[in-house]
Amino acid sequence: MSDFLSELGAFLADPDAWLGGAGLLVRTRDHVLLSLFAIGVAALIALPPAVWLGHRRRGGVVVGALVNVGRAIPSFGILALMLPISLALGLGIGFWPTFVALVALAMPPIFTNTYTGVVEVDPAVTEAARGMGMTGRQLVRRTELPLAMPVIWTALRVSAVQVVATATLGAVVGWGGLGRYVIDGFAQGNDVYVFIGGVSVALLAIATDLAFSFGERFVLPKGTHHRDRGELTSSAAV
Amino acid sequence: MIFAQTQPFIRWDWIVDHLDEIWERTVEHSVLTGFAVVIGLVVSTALSMIALRFRRTYGPITWTAGILYTIPSIALFAFLVPFTGLSLLTAEIGLVSYTLLILIRNIVAGIDGVPAAVIESARGMGYTDRRLFWRVQVPLALPVIVAGVRIAAVTVVGLVTVTSLIGQGGYGAFILRGLRRTFATEILVGTVMSVVFAVLIDLVLLWLQRRLAPWQRRQARAS
Amino acid sequence: MRYHRKGVIGAIALVVGLVLAACGSGDDAEGPGTTGSADTTETTAAPDGPAITIGAQDFGESAILAEVYRQVLENAGYEVSIQPLGGFRDIVLGAFEGGDINFTPEYAASMLEFLNEQQGEATGDAEETTELLRGYLSELGLVAYAPSPAIDTNAFVVTPETSEEHGISAISDLAGHEADLTLGGPPDCETNPFCIPGLQDVYGIDFSGSFTPLDAGSVTVQALEAGEIDVAVLFSTSGIIADRGWILLEDDQSMLAADNVVPVLTEELDQAYGEEFRALVDEVSAAMTTEDLTELNRQFDIEARDAEDIALDWLTENGFVDG
Repeated sequence: MSDFLSELGAFLADPDAWLGGAGLLVRTRDHVLLSLFAIGVAALIALPPAVWLGHRRRGGVVVGALVNVGRAIPSFGILALMLPISLALGLGIGFWPTFVALVALAMPPIFTNTYTGVVEVDPAVTEAARGMGMTGRQLVRRTELPLAMPVIWTALRVSAVQVVATATLGAVVGWGGLGRYVIDGFAQGNDVYVFIGGVSVALLAIATDLAFSFGERFVLPKGTHHRDRGELTSSAAV
Repeated sequence: MIFAQTQPFIRWDWIVDHLDEIWERTVEHSVLTGFAVVIGLVVSTALSMIALRFRRTYGPITWTAGILYTIPSIALFAFLVPFTGLSLLTAEIGLVSYTLLILIRNIVAGIDGVPAAVIESARGMGYTDRRLFWRVQVPLALPVIVAGVRIAAVTVVGLVTVTSLIGQGGYGAFILRGLRRTFATEILVGTVMSVVFAVLIDLVLLWLQRRLAPWQRRQARAS
Repeated sequence: MRYHRKGVIGAIALVVGLVLAACGSGDDAEGPGTTGSADTTETTAAPDGPAITIGAQDFGESAILAEVYRQVLENAGYEVSIQPLGGFRDIVLGAFEGGDINFTPEYAASMLEFLNEQQGEATGDAEETTELLRGYLSELGLVAYAPSPAIDTNAFVVTPETSEEHGISAISDLAGHEADLTLGGPPDCETNPFCIPGLQDVYGIDFSGSFTPLDAGSVTVQALEAGEIDVAVLFSTSGIIADRGWILLEDDQSMLAADNVVPVLTEELDQAYGEEFRALVDEVSAAMTTEDLTELNRQFDIEARDAEDIALDWLTENGFVDG
C-alpha cells in the first residue's frame, strides 16, 4: 500500500504526467471534446423526432420497447462492433468507432425521455393553448417544449454523464482519452495508472453532472426550476 | 465486401457450430448476473433499512453509491484485480457496486410510498414495527422495488460483458475474442445474446412486477 | 397479503434455484474462465496434487499454447483449467503471485530481459537463455521447464510503401525517423524489453513519443493496413506478414534473442507432480516448431477457428491424444 501511495505521489508530482503529450490534461481534453461532440450529435438526431412524436402522441409502444432494449445494449459490445465497421469504411481505429458507439448509446435514453417529457405535459394546458388559437408548431414551441424542458434537460444530463463514463472504453479500440490510463495500466500492471484513470473519469463525470445542474437556470423557463424530475427511465452504468 | 480477406460479415455456420459454447456462456453470464443482483439486493436492503431508520444517513449512503456508480466499470475491475485477483469475487464486488444506487433508491422510495393511512390502520391493529415492515410495507413496496431490480439486472447484464477484460466469461468472451481477431460474427453473437438475455430478464421481472401489484395500473415514477 | 407473500417467496426461490442450478452445471470453482473441455479419452487416474491453472495471455498464440498443454495434461488425468488474462507479462507475474495461475507458456528471452530489467543477458541460444531465466525465476518461486524449438519474437513490420519511401529494410534504418513514423503495438511495449526499451538501448531509437498502444495482433494489423500506424509490432509467427506482403525489418543489431516458448510454473506445482509430469510437458514442448506455431496462428486469426479445436488437431497429428 505504501508503495502504491509513493508511486502515486511520484506520478502526481511529475509535471510531465500532467502536461506531457500523453499527460492528464491532454487526455482529459480529448475525453471532454469527444464526449461533448457525441452528446451534441446524439441530441441533434434524437431530439426532433422525439419532440414531434411526443407532440403527436404517436409511437408510444415503440418508445416503451426502446426503453427496455436501449438499456439492454452493452456498451462494450457496440464499441467492439464499431471497430470492424469503421475499418471497413476506411475510418480507422480509435476516434471514429468510439464516437459512433457513444452516439448510438446516447440516443435511446435521450429519445425516450424526451418523448415521455413531452407526452406528460398536462393535457389541460395543451387544451387551453389550443383554445387560445395556437397552431401545432406554436404549441410545441411555446407550451410543450418549455414545460418538458426539465425532463429533457435531465435526460441530456444523465446521458452526458453516461457518455463520459463510456468513453473510457474507447481505449480498447485504440482511442486515447482517460481510458488509456486504465487499459494501459491494467496491461502493464501499473496500479497508479488504473487508479488515476478511474478517479479522473469519475471526477469528470461528476463535473459534467454539476455543469448541467448549473446550466439549468439558463435553460429552464422560470417556474419550472423545481419541478419534480423523478427517476429517469434509463441510466445505465458503464 | 467488408472482410474479403477474412470473413463475410456474418458466418452462420460458425454460429451453428458454436451453439454449445453459446449455451455455456449463457450459464456463465447468468451466474455472474444472478449473484450480483441477489447480493446487491441483500446489501441494498440492509442499507435501506438503515437509511429508513436513520434518515440522516440516506444522503451519505446514496452519495457513496452514486460515486461507485460513476466510476467506469473497467476502472473499478482493473483496480480490484491486484487485491482480489482475476476472480469471480473481483467481478462480483464490482457488479454489486453498480446495483446499489438504483436498488437503495427504489427500496426507500417504495417503502416511503406506502400510504400513511395503511400504516395507521396497521398500527391500530397492533402491528409491531417489525411486522409492519415485513408484512405491510415491504409487500406494498414490492412493485417499485422490483422495478428497481429490473433496471439493476439489465444494467448488470451489460456490465458482465466488461468482466471478460479481467478474465471472466459470459457473452463478453465472444466480444473480446472477436475484437482481438476482428471477427464480426463473434462480436455480434456476444452483443446480441447480451441484449436478448437482458430483455428476457426485463420482461420476466416486468411480469413479476405487474403480478405483485394488480391494483396498480401505472407504476410509481421510478419505473 | 398471503397472496403476495407466496408469490414473492416463490419468485425468490425460483431465482435462487436457478442460480444454484447454474452453479452446479457451470464451470469449476476457479470462476468462469474455461471454455469447456474437449472430448479426450481419460487414461490414468488423476495423480494427487494441486489443480493446474494455466494462464493465457491476451493474444491468440498464448491461448492456443495454453490449450495444447491443458488438453495433454487433462488427457493424462490431471485436473487442469485455463484462466484468461486480460493482458501480458505484467499480469502474468501478478497472477502467479496472487495464486490465480500456476502454469503458463512464456517466451525465454523476453521474460529474462523483463525480470533482469533489460540487462541484455539473453543470447541467441535457447538453453543458455533459459538457464539464466531460471536464476531469476527461482527468486519468485517459479521454475522453467525445457524450452521448445519454437520461437516467436517481436516482429517490426512496415508496408512496402513505407519501406521504399524512407529506405527502411532493417530496424537500424528507423533511426532518425521517429518523428515521422508512428509505432503501434501491444500496450506492454513500453515495458517490454524487446519493444520500446530495447529499441532505445540497442538501436538508440526512441519511439516513446510516437507510440500508439493497440492490442496484440489483429487490431494492430488493421491499423497498419489502414495507415494509422507506420511500424507495427507483430509476432514473428503471425502468418499475416507474408500474407499481406509486408516487410519484416531485419534485426541487424541482434536485439531480439532466443524467444523460445518455455513453460513457466510454480515450484509448488513442479514438486507436487515430479518426473512424469515434467517429462510429459517437455515432450509436448519439444514437438512444437516455429512452422507449427505459424500455421496454428493462421488458423486462429484468419480462419477464426477456436483455440481448443486448433490445439486438439495439432495434438492428434502429433500423437499426443486420440482426436
